[in-house]
Amino acid sequence: MDASVATQRKEPDARAETLVASYERAGYVRVAPPMLQPAEPFLDLSGEDIRRRMYLTTAPDGGEFCLRPDLTIPVSRDYLASSSAGNAAGYCYLGPVFRYRADAPAEFLQVGIESFGRSDKAAADAEMLSLGLEATAHYGLASPDIQIGDVALFASLIAGLDLPPAWKRRLIKDFNRKSNLAQDLDRLVLGGNNARPEYQGVLAALAGSDPNGAHALITDLLSIAGINAVGGRSVGEIAGRFLEQSALGASAKLPQEVRGLIERFLAIQGNPDEAAADLRALAHDSRMTPALAPALDHFESRTGFLEARGVDVKRVRFSTAFGRGFDYYTGLVFELTDPKRTGDPLVAGGRYDDLLTRLGAPDPIAAVGFAVWIERLALYGGVS
Amino acid sequence: MNAPLIVAVPAKGRLQENAEAFFARAGLTLMKPRGARDYRGAIAGLDGVEVAYLSAAEITSQLAVGGVHLGVTGEDLVREMIPDADKRVVFIEGLGFGFANVVVAVPQAWIDVRTMADIDDVATAFRHHHERKMRVATKYINLTRDFFSSHGVIDYRIVESSGATEGAPTAGTAEMIVDITTSGATLAANGLKVVEDGTILRSQANLVAARKAAWGKTERDLARVILDRVAAQARARAFREVRARFAAGTDMLVENAKQKFTIETPFGGPTSSGMLILHCPPDQVYGLTSFLRESGAEAVAVADLDYVFSRDNPLYAKLEAGLAR
Repeated sequence: MDASVATQRKEPDARAETLVASYERAGYVRVAPPMLQPAEPFLDLSGEDIRRRMYLTTAPDGGEFCLRPDLTIPVSRDYLASSSAGNAAGYCYLGPVFRYRADAPAEFLQVGIESFGRSDKAAADAEMLSLGLEATAHYGLASPDIQIGDVALFASLIAGLDLPPAWKRRLIKDFNRKSNLAQDLDRLVLGGNNARPEYQGVLAALAGSDPNGAHALITDLLSIAGINAVGGRSVGEIAGRFLEQSALGASAKLPQEVRGLIERFLAIQGNPDEAAADLRALAHDSRMTPALAPALDHFESRTGFLEARGVDVKRVRFSTAFGRGFDYYTGLVFELTDPKRTGDPLVAGGRYDDLLTRLGAPDPIAAVGFAVWIERLALYGGVS
Repeated sequence: MNAPLIVAVPAKGRLQENAEAFFARAGLTLMKPRGARDYRGAIAGLDGVEVAYLSAAEITSQLAVGGVHLGVTGEDLVREMIPDADKRVVFIEGLGFGFANVVVAVPQAWIDVRTMADIDDVATAFRHHHERKMRVATKYINLTRDFFSSHGVIDYRIVESSGATEGAPTAGTAEMIVDITTSGATLAANGLKVVEDGTILRSQANLVAARKAAWGKTERDLARVILDRVAAQARARAFREVRARFAAGTDMLVENAKQKFTIETPFGGPTSSGMLILHCPPDQVYGLTSFLRESGAEAVAVADLDYVFSRDNPLYAKLEAGLAR
């Protein structure tokens, strides 16, 4: 028998039921999406890495399905398919999710909330964090560690820098995948383009040419090489990339001060008030106040809403680097952990404003939510 | 009686022929006492061993769960099908056949793509252009995911392909592929090229032991016999025997030869009559024979070896170490 599969049917968790009932009373509609979900949205939005943790199956007609590895995507899809799509709506759930874990049961319970379409984003952010805190309090952990990040700040910083689009794209990607950022900064600072010497002729020939000229040159090169079929990418895309590299080569190095700025930015941490002051100072020193102001205003407004909800913000730990490597968050990212235990979050959530568009919504829809790991909280004693 | 030692061997095709030839060279004749269509066999003269004829994929999954003790299968399948393979199996010996590289290949028209770093860059640009992720057709889902992840590539999707993967880009079902290749000819014929640092694995057929199988004394003793013969054959294959006779003056001769060549002296130094027997890798034979004649040998004879048995049993030692790990 595979140890990763739960063999006993557990009694419904009464405390989880009362928790989700409290979310219902707060105005969130309780939903129960199907366990069996199309696999495509999870693989597309979370990346191939999630495949190793998913329970996949194939339908007789070839469609790929999975046991839901989380409830954010199922709840989002149901919302988009409903008549409420595009309007403000909030949902809560209690149910099992399924992920392969080497040393723990693959099926485990989550309670959570997804809130869609609210334009008062700072207030919605604060409400999620405070409802998450209610969950740990409900299980008897009144003062968990609160770690937050805000990935919109890094995005605003990069957007405001005077850099070629290709470098911006790369820095954003490096931020999202955790590693590589320091390495990439090194490479960009050392300068030049990354093309191998074999390319130099092509890049030199392309320097200063327009897309049409580049297209013609690449078409000729392919034809000389006897390559007729172009798979997947068009000649225009290949020419475009050469042009981009040629432009990168001309604009040489990432200025040392930009690198210093990014490093100074990523070192900022502390409680939200301290961090905001540091970020304002950084924006002022680097003359980037216009670029960073909207994200910073939102950040400070959120802190205000947290205080209004009775959260002791001095206890909140903020870090600009927190949230790196997380899948689809676009703003607030938060985790609640037990100060006496290391590691796994008890509650985790954040803002994911791009998700619904990526799931097919015609217009952007604001979205924020969190999930509670019931089995991790079940270790605690009593209801507060 | 203990359960017999089960050795899994590919059930068909070139892999079966090569595996049988490999065991035969080691003096282990695989038999099917109940006829050629039987999928259970034995090894001539070795009681207690059962040969299970299975597909390479079945052999691999049986090795993972310990349903067989030893098996012949490709490293590519083991790495793909068994998560944390080194915890579940012991690679005992590469068998010198079934060579295949698992590689990342892209359309030749992508003249701007030479390395995995290019693929990373192109994949992200592709997502922005096409509002979907680049597709990689492969049957090596796990190898692909781990390799792409180690190169930081995230903007891609795997499309499972169970055959004719190299045709996927032309057919428009994927932009690039991960597949096995021996010479690259099939890839080239389909307008594809291998990415420079895109070789995921250099695979060959391996003799593999299952750590989860029941390894009692009987099983270990039988494995010791099999591995002893395999090792004797492997060692014989790696050397030629060089015999020479010296009239006189053989002081320091062996030491000097050892400095110049990677030779072994299985029977010690020259005998009282001046006979010297050396074991020498095939590619050093001519250098060694010249050296011996310059050093005074009257005649030098070189011969192939069938078996070289020695007191130690390196392959069995590897098995023991792997099981104890």
